[in-house]
This record gives sequence, C-alpha cells and structure tokens, in this order.
Amino acid sequence: MKKILIIAFILFSIQMYAQTNEGTVYFTRTTYWTKMNNQLSYLSKQEKEKMTYMFAGKDDWKEYMLLHYNDNESKYVASEEKSEESEGYAWRKEEFSVARNFTKNTMLDVFEILGKTYIIEDSLQTPNWKILNDIKEVAGHICMKAMIEDTLKKQKIIAWFAQDIPSNAGPERLWGLPGLILELDINDGTVLIQASKIESKKLTQELAPPKKLKGKKMNEVAYQEMLKKIIQEKIKEERNPFWFIRY
Amino acid sequence: MRKSTLLLLFVFLAFSTLVMAQNPARVTIKGIVQDTNSTVMSGATVMLLQPKDSALVNFSRANDKGAFEFRNVKNSNYLLKISYVGFLPFQQNVKPSETDIADLGAIKIKPISQELLEVVVRTAKAPLSIKGDTIEYNAASFKVPPGSSVEDLLRRLPGLEIDASGNIKAQGKDVKKVLVDGKTFFGDDPKAATKNLGAETISKVQVFNGKSDQALLTGIDDGKKEKTINLELKDEYKKGAFGKITGAVGTESRGAFRGNYNRFNKKEQFSILAYANNINETGVNWSDYGEFKGNNTFNQNDNGDFGFGGGGRYYFSDGGGITDNFDGRGFTKNFGSGVNYNYTYQKTKLSTSYFYNQTDLNLDQFQNTKTFLQNNSFSTTDTTKTTNFRGNHSIAGRFEQMLDSSNTLITKASLRFSNSNGTDLKSQRYLTQENALRNAVAINNSSDLNAFNFSGTAIFRHKFKKKGRTLAASLMYNVASTDGTDKLYSLTKFFAAQDVNEQIRAISQLNQNANNTNFLKGGLNFLEPLSKKIYWESFYNFSNNKQEVGRNAFNGLSNNERFDSLSTFYQNDITYNRIGSSIRYSHAGINVSAGLAGLRYDLNGKVYPKEGTPLTTEINKSYDALTPNLSASIDLKNNTYIGFNYNLNVEAPSITDLQPVVNNNNPFYITKGNQDLLPVKSHEVGLDLYKFDPSTFTNISLWTSYNYYQSQVVYNQEVNPSNFVTTTRPENISGGTRFNTGLYTSFPIVKTKLTVNLNGNVNLTNNPTFINGVKNETNNQGYNITLGFSITPSDKLLMGLSGSLGFTKVKYSIEEGQNQNINTKGLDASLKWNFAKKTFFETNLDYNGYKNDRFGFNQDIPILNCSVRRLLMKDNKVELRLAAFDVFNKRQTITQRGYQNVVTNQTALTLARYFMLSITYNVKGHVDKLKKNNGW
Repeated sequence: MKKILIIAFILFSIQMYAQTNEGTVYFTRTTYWTKMNNQLSYLSKQEKEKMTYMFAGKDDWKEYMLLHYNDNESKYVASEEKSEESEGYAWRKEEFSVARNFTKNTMLDVFEILGKTYIIEDSLQTPNWKILNDIKEVAGHICMKAMIEDTLKKQKIIAWFAQDIPSNAGPERLWGLPGLILELDINDGTVLIQASKIESKKLTQELAPPKKLKGKKMNEVAYQEMLKKIIQEKIKEERNPFWFIRY
Repeated sequence: MRKSTLLLLFVFLAFSTLVMAQNPARVTIKGIVQDTNSTVMSGATVMLLQPKDSALVNFSRANDKGAFEFRNVKNSNYLLKISYVGFLPFQQNVKPSETDIADLGAIKIKPISQELLEVVVRTAKAPLSIKGDTIEYNAASFKVPPGSSVEDLLRRLPGLEIDASGNIKAQGKDVKKVLVDGKTFFGDDPKAATKNLGAETISKVQVFNGKSDQALLTGIDDGKKEKTINLELKDEYKKGAFGKITGAVGTESRGAFRGNYNRFNKKEQFSILAYANNINETGVNWSDYGEFKGNNTFNQNDNGDFGFGGGGRYYFSDGGGITDNFDGRGFTKNFGSGVNYNYTYQKTKLSTSYFYNQTDLNLDQFQNTKTFLQNNSFSTTDTTKTTNFRGNHSIAGRFEQMLDSSNTLITKASLRFSNSNGTDLKSQRYLTQENALRNAVAINNSSDLNAFNFSGTAIFRHKFKKKGRTLAASLMYNVASTDGTDKLYSLTKFFAAQDVNEQIRAISQLNQNANNTNFLKGGLNFLEPLSKKIYWESFYNFSNNKQEVGRNAFNGLSNNERFDSLSTFYQNDITYNRIGSSIRYSHAGINVSAGLAGLRYDLNGKVYPKEGTPLTTEINKSYDALTPNLSASIDLKNNTYIGFNYNLNVEAPSITDLQPVVNNNNPFYITKGNQDLLPVKSHEVGLDLYKFDPSTFTNISLWTSYNYYQSQVVYNQEVNPSNFVTTTRPENISGGTRFNTGLYTSFPIVKTKLTVNLNGNVNLTNNPTFINGVKNETNNQGYNITLGFSITPSDKLLMGLSGSLGFTKVKYSIEEGQNQNINTKGLDASLKWNFAKKTFFETNLDYNGYKNDRFGFNQDIPILNCSVRRLLMKDNKVELRLAAFDVFNKRQTITQRGYQNVVTNQTALTLARYFMLSITYNVKGHVDKLKKNNGW
C-alpha cells in the first residue's frame, strides 16, 4: 500500500514537472505593523506595550501582488485586486515593479520612494541563501525552507521554495533558489508574503518591460546607499522609516 | 628568450600537475538519486551547501535517469542536500576529491511517512522540521475543541500514543519527562503538565530521543537518556502589563489622583482606571482612554447606517463620558473609576466595560447680551451662580463573531443610569439702549433628574461567493427615559409698567417632568460589483422615533394647584424611510460615485392637556423628497489628493416646532409652534485638496465648503419694546448661506531643526430672520490666521512659538449702526528642556486678548505654567514633578459670540494659580528623553 502511494506520488510529481514551467503566482502580502513598530529603537517599552495592547489583532494590512514567471524571466507587480475590507474602493498604488532575467543575468526594478520614481538597473548578484531542513506546504506545494539576511534593513527572511516547480523566481526582490519561492516571512512574521494560488499558463504580455520609463536611473549599490541614508535620517527624526520605503 | 619562456612554462605545468595529482582544484561531483527501492528519482533537487552555515553554493536537478552532476566546482568540503516531494530531505557530507570526478554513486532517499505528510503537512499545514531522523512539528496547527487539555492534543499527533491513565509513549517508548518551555512543570510527573495545561497554550511539541538532542534544543543536560517531550508555550501566553499611578498635592487645597493598569496576552485584555481630583479634570485624556478600551477603541462601521449622507440620521453615544470634557468654566470636583475586559480569540471578539464617573460643578459667571431691534436695542446682564452634580453608571458590551468565512455578526449593548441635581441663582437685568434699568429678575431654580438609557445594536454582514458582492443588515433599538423635578422661584420687577399690579411678578412653580423615548432603526445595504471597476450600491434605511413628554406644573403660590397653561403632555411619532442607489467607478485611485435616494418622513404629534385626557391637538404631516448625491475622491501621483462632494440634506421640522402650542416657561422668551412648517433643505458642496511631500515632510491642505438653504427653519421674533418680552415663532425662509474655506501648510525651513506651520480660515454666514416683522440679515464674517514655528536645536531642547489673530465682523441689515467687531489675539510659547541628566524643565505661556469696542470690552489674559520633573529609580520608574499653574493668577474663561440679532460676551471664573507636587510610578518606566513626534 505504502509503495503504491509513493509511486503515485512520484508519477504525480513527474506530471507536475512535465507541465509548462510558466505562469502567475498570486501573493497576499500582510504587514503586521505593531510588530514593525516594536522594532523601532526610539520607542519606549511603555509605548510599545500600549500600541500592542490597543491594536491587538487589528494591526494587519493586506496587499495583493502578482509574480509572473517562466524559465528565463520573472516580474513581480501589484495586483489590481481589492481587499474585502475596501468595499470596492480603489486607492492609487505606487509605482512598483521588480523584473529579473535569469538568462541575461539582469535586473530592472521600478520603485516610487518619497514621491519620486527610481529605476534600478544592474546585473544580478547571487543572493547568499542558507538552506534549512524543514518542509511545509504552501498553496498545495511541499516547500523547503531557506534563509537570507538583509543587513541594511536588519531583516531575517525565511523563504519557502517549492520542491516541484523548478524556477529561480520569487516575490519581492528575492530569487535564486532551486524552486519557485511561494512564501516569505520577514522578521518573525512582521511581513508575510504568501502564495494563495499558482496559475500555470502561457504568459503573453505580462513579462514585457514597462513601455515608458521615467525616473532616476541608478545601480544597485547607489540604491542601497540611498535606502541607508533614508533609514538613518528617519530614525533620527523618530519616524518609522518603513512608512517611506518598502519593508 | 623563447627557450627560457618555454622552460618556465614547462616547470610551471609540471608543478601544477604535481599539485593536482594530490587534489585537483576543480572537480565534477556526480551521483544518482534513488529511493529505498532503487527507483530513480528524476527531477529531484540536488544542492551543494557550505557545511559550516548551509549556504547555497550550487544546485541542479536529477535527469530522467536520476543522475545529477555539478561540473567544475571548487574542490572542497560540501554538504550535499537532496529534496524531493514526499521524501525526507537527504544530507551527506562530501569531502575534497582526489580525482577529477567525485562519483557519489547511488544515493537512496527515504520517504516521509504517509501519516506525517498527510496529517501534519497537508491537513494541519504545519511545517516539518527534520533533524537527522527526528521530526518536529508545530502543534498549534492541530485543531482541538476549546477547553481541551494538552493530553487531548497529544492524542492527535502522529507518533504519540496515550493510554487510558494518561501515560505517554513516543515512537513506542515511554515518555518519562514533560518540560514546559524547557523547564520542569510541577515536579517529575509527566502527566502534571499534560493534564493541567490547556491545549490552546501550546505552540510546539518536541520529542527528544536522547541527551544530545535534548541538550541541543533546551540547553538542559540532566545526564539521563530518556524520551522527553518539551511543550513550548505560545507567545500570547507570555503576558504583558503596563500602567502608571500618580498622586499629587497642591496649594489652595488642590489634589489629584490618577491610576491605570493593563494586563494582557494575545487573547485577553484587562484594564482598570481610576481618577479623582479637584483640578478640573472631568475625565481622562484620549491616550488614557485608548489604553482603557484596548483593542476595542477602534471599531469602525459600528453604527449600522448605510448609504450616502443626506439627513435623517440619529446618533447615540455609547455611554462614554470617560474623556475630559471640561469647557473651561467654573470649579469641579471629579471622580471616576472603571474596568474593561476584552477577549479576542480566532473568530470571536468580546468587549465589556463598566464605568462610574461623577462631576460636581461650582460656577460663577457674568454674561452681557445685546439684542438689536430695528432702530433700537436692549441689553441683558446675567450674574449666575450654578452648582451641579452629575453621576453616571455605564455598562457596555460588544460581541463580534465570525460565524463562518462569509458571515459576521456584531452585537452591542449599553446601559446607563445617571442622576443629576443642581441649583441656579441668577440675577438678571434688562437695560434700554440708554442704559436705563427696565426689568430686574431674581431667580432661584433647582432641579433633580434621573435618567436611564439602553441601547442595543445588531449588525450582520454577508459576503457572497462572487467576490465583492456583500449584503449587510442592521437593527438598533434605543430606549431612554428621564424623570425629574424642577423648582422654579423668581421675582421680576417691571420698572416701566404703569399698572401697579404689573410692576412685580413672582413665580413659585414645581415642575414634574417625565419623558420617554423609544427609537428603532434598521437598514439594508447591498453592494454588487458590475465589473472590476464599477460597483452598484443600494440601500434602505428605516427609523421610528416615539417620544412621550409629560410635564405637570404646579403653582406654589396658590396651594400647589396645577398650572394648566404651563403643563403639557404630548406624544410624537416620527417615521423615516429612505431607499437609494448609487453607481461608483473605482479604479487606480479614482473613486467617483453618483446616487439618488427617495425619502419620506411621516410625523404624528398628539397634544393632551394632561395624561389620560382626550387630545386637544393632533398633527399629521408627511414629507417626501428626492436627494441626489455626488462624490469623488481622487488619489493622484506625488501624494496629491482631491475630494469633492455634493449633498442635498433634508431634515423634517421638529414636532415641538409644529405644535401650535404656546410655551411660556420663560416669561421673557415665549415660543409658539407653526403647523405649516416645511422640512429644512440645504445644498452642500465641499472640495478638499491635499498634497504631501514625504522627503521634506511638507504638506499643504486646502478645503472649502458651501451650504445654501433652500428652506431653513428660523425663529422670527416679536419683541415688546417696553418690557423686552420676546415671542418667537418658527418659520421657513430661504436664502441662508454658510461658506467656509481654509488652508493649512507646514514645511521645514531648516531640515529637522525648524518647521513652520500656517493656518488660515474664513467663515462667512448669512442668517435671515424677521424681527418685529422686518427682515434682518445677520452677516457674520470671521477671519482667523495662525503662524507657528517649531524649533528643535538639539535632542535636549524643543521649542514652539505661535501667534494667532482672529477678527469677526457682525453686520445687521436692520440696524447697521450696531455692527460689531470682535477681536481676539493669542500668543503661545512653549519650551521643553532636558537640562540635566534625567531632569526636565517645561514651560508654556498662553497669552490671549479679547476685544469688543461696542461693549467697551478689552481684556488680556496671560497664563504661564512651569514645571520641573526628575526621573528616579531603576528604569526611571518614578517621576517627581513640581509644577506651577497660572503663575500670574489671571485665568478666567471668556466667550464672545454674535448670532442672529444677538451678541453675547461671557466671563466665567475658573481655577487660577496653584502649585502642585506630584509623584508618578510607571510600571514600564518613563521615557528618559524628549519626544520629537507624537506618532510612531
């Protein structure tokens, strides 16, 4: 009996593997902002406890994101989907697009920071992933655990990548694991990015580069330098830097 | 030359071959992935990791023959990891190879037990953590009924067995020890923890095979090798608490006490709050209120009103009164105390609170009122001494339950009992334009009132399968009753009266008042997405307000016989129905909607001479109206926002205004009803603009609103020119307008050091009324401007300086000679200085000037407060503070107003100079620095 099941499993996985390795992943990005504020160095213990007290269970903020991917490329953008609490109202979304080309080894990111649009163009730098020994299921796929650190934003990021979707792509600015990343957990659940649905389909225009690109161009080093400056400045002003830059 | 080069090359090659012969610099690592039955595992993920930190070096996939290959990789130590769906992640150390190719041969990977994969990973969605052959998982993912013990939870976990007496076996072996968060729980009996702890408190269950695993995971080495279970507690059961307590004593017998304490975990919140003082704090501030209410402070969409604005809404407060609402007049003694409990778990949110508060007011005030008539005017001066006591008990509860993923029910109830009693001693003088005394009134009134209020609300929300389609229904019931007595004594002297009998009038009256209100309202709202961008919203509102007002007045001068003319008993019944619909476009920051509603008011009023007698007058009125609504909110690039709205507001006249009954309770101000009144109709247009630059923190906001009264209810006046008795009658008039526009901007001059803010607004109103048959248009023009600077030279010094000017011009069309100019000016300077270690000096000067040339009124009030405080003890838990309030002893409260044909000027005494020493203990410690921003 066990053997049959295992064989069925294998056949099933092979079938999955044989599918077109192309499609769209629907992500829900949840920010728990009391957890985020609890990391601010300039708040007192009393303020942190009070905030946690007053917003307990009501501190989550949901956004919806899309990751389009194929064997060579990926693009991560905001979805037009509205949250259930919005009652259909739509707010303007900031410019945001993260494009990766794994064959050409290039990246093209468009972000709106402090009211200005920036275009970050560079070659891809191999991320420093650590592979851990845990598995769990995300959106119907068994995933393995990996970890990476963002020293600038002081974040410990846990990624769960699918064992059965061979793609280097991932949400946010992360990539480079042996399987498609289906979940990210930034700083112990401060921000959770979880796949809700994976749609295997032939992509048409989704991966095309943005038509008009207006904004300040810079490379990755200059971008990191700019983020560093903003974080330092906002902390000095006693304002949460992550109201101004993406967590 | 050439020869030597060749030789060199040869030597170099020979040398490198020699090195390579020991260990090649680059190798190819290959192998074949198979399962335990030697079936090839094609598509398995194979990773090369650094052994020291598991960093990913390279990865590959096994081909259709299960073979994998890493070509030309650095020859060093690796950790080879293989992962495959349904199999345990495999790990193997790879040592530096002596040959060019490191063939690892067939690698066999083991399947995960079907039970673990199906039960733990797929059903419970718990991560599996694999350490060698040991598997751990998150127990929190296993659903057990509320109230279950850990034992019940363990029964559900694969690999654990529990017998009838509670003995635990893990992988067939007896468990000798159960730890909680790595610590022994009540002795060595493993059952103590599993039987007594609730399953919901546990986040992880770890089973250890032996000492090494245990030492690794818990850091405890007890030297034994036995099966041990560690139960890790959830974070939410790790408790939090905060609070503070303050006691203060001052000169002039002033004193204050304030304390609050909050305990919480993720599931429960408990708070207590108490205060008592005689320094005019009638309640707590919003920050302390928030701490008291906890996560129940912000509950939106709780009023059950649906659809766009446009009149007919009734609001009831939920029995608050906890926050400070002192209006600046008089002296108060205050006391308040209460408890709040919130429970939030999964789909249930429950909040309950009880609060008692009381305020004892002592007020002396002087008021000067000037009333303009055509070619004439008169003035009134009131000198009043008021004492008032008010006490409230309020109990409130709110319960929210997600019935399932598509249905939510919210129910709320609040109950309030209050009693108040007070006295009013008043001396009133009526003066002619030439300052001749016409009438003098001495009043001594007292009252006693008991009130009861209950309010219950239920709101149901349903989400349909189609995304975005929702239905909401609400029902609210409010019952209020008041029961009170008024004792009215007054003596009036009419100096202009010719007849001796009319020169003096005495009143001794006892009123017994009993009012009851029953209010019911309900609504339905349906939202249908027509497309991704277009939404159709329909709503229905209903309300019925039944009011019963009874007053029996008795004449104390004539054997307490009933005053029929001053007694009344009436019943009002107002039914409101509205149905409407709107279409909205919502996409990419643009939300525009247009809607139309039809509404109807049905009014019924019955007047009886007294309760239980046949009615004397009955009013039946119905009003219908169609109300359009337009609104837009546009969110543009660069943090720019534009908002627009247009409303037609329709409000039914009040039944009291409709009843053709004369009310002569106040002998100088007699009101009459009007049966022919039409509803109030006003057109309202508003426009808002907002822009924010996050890089400099510059923001600018502009707003404007305009109201036009198509029909307004105004109180036309007939004033008797000799004794100044005013008779008013409500009537409809059109042409009243209200216009308001303003600007606020704030921007830095020196980044993080100096910020400027500027605020200006203009208010223009036009109120028409008839006075003695002549139409008077009162035109109010108000202009206010404030300019402020906030200066932060260092982290130790914060300063603020702001100045304001206000100018109000009141014009009367019937008597332009009486036009008024009311001027106010203000200056506010503040300083906070951390001048020594843990020591702070704080001061602020608030200077206000009031001027009205017509009254010959010109008063400047400078208020200076200073304090010095020092933080003491470990973690700065204690704060000692010495404060001086109103150093110049100048405080009094002045109010100047102009409306209709009246201008008033009011001065009230209040708490002036005192000094106070206070000590505060804060459980979490005080902040040892000055706060730059109040936000997060």
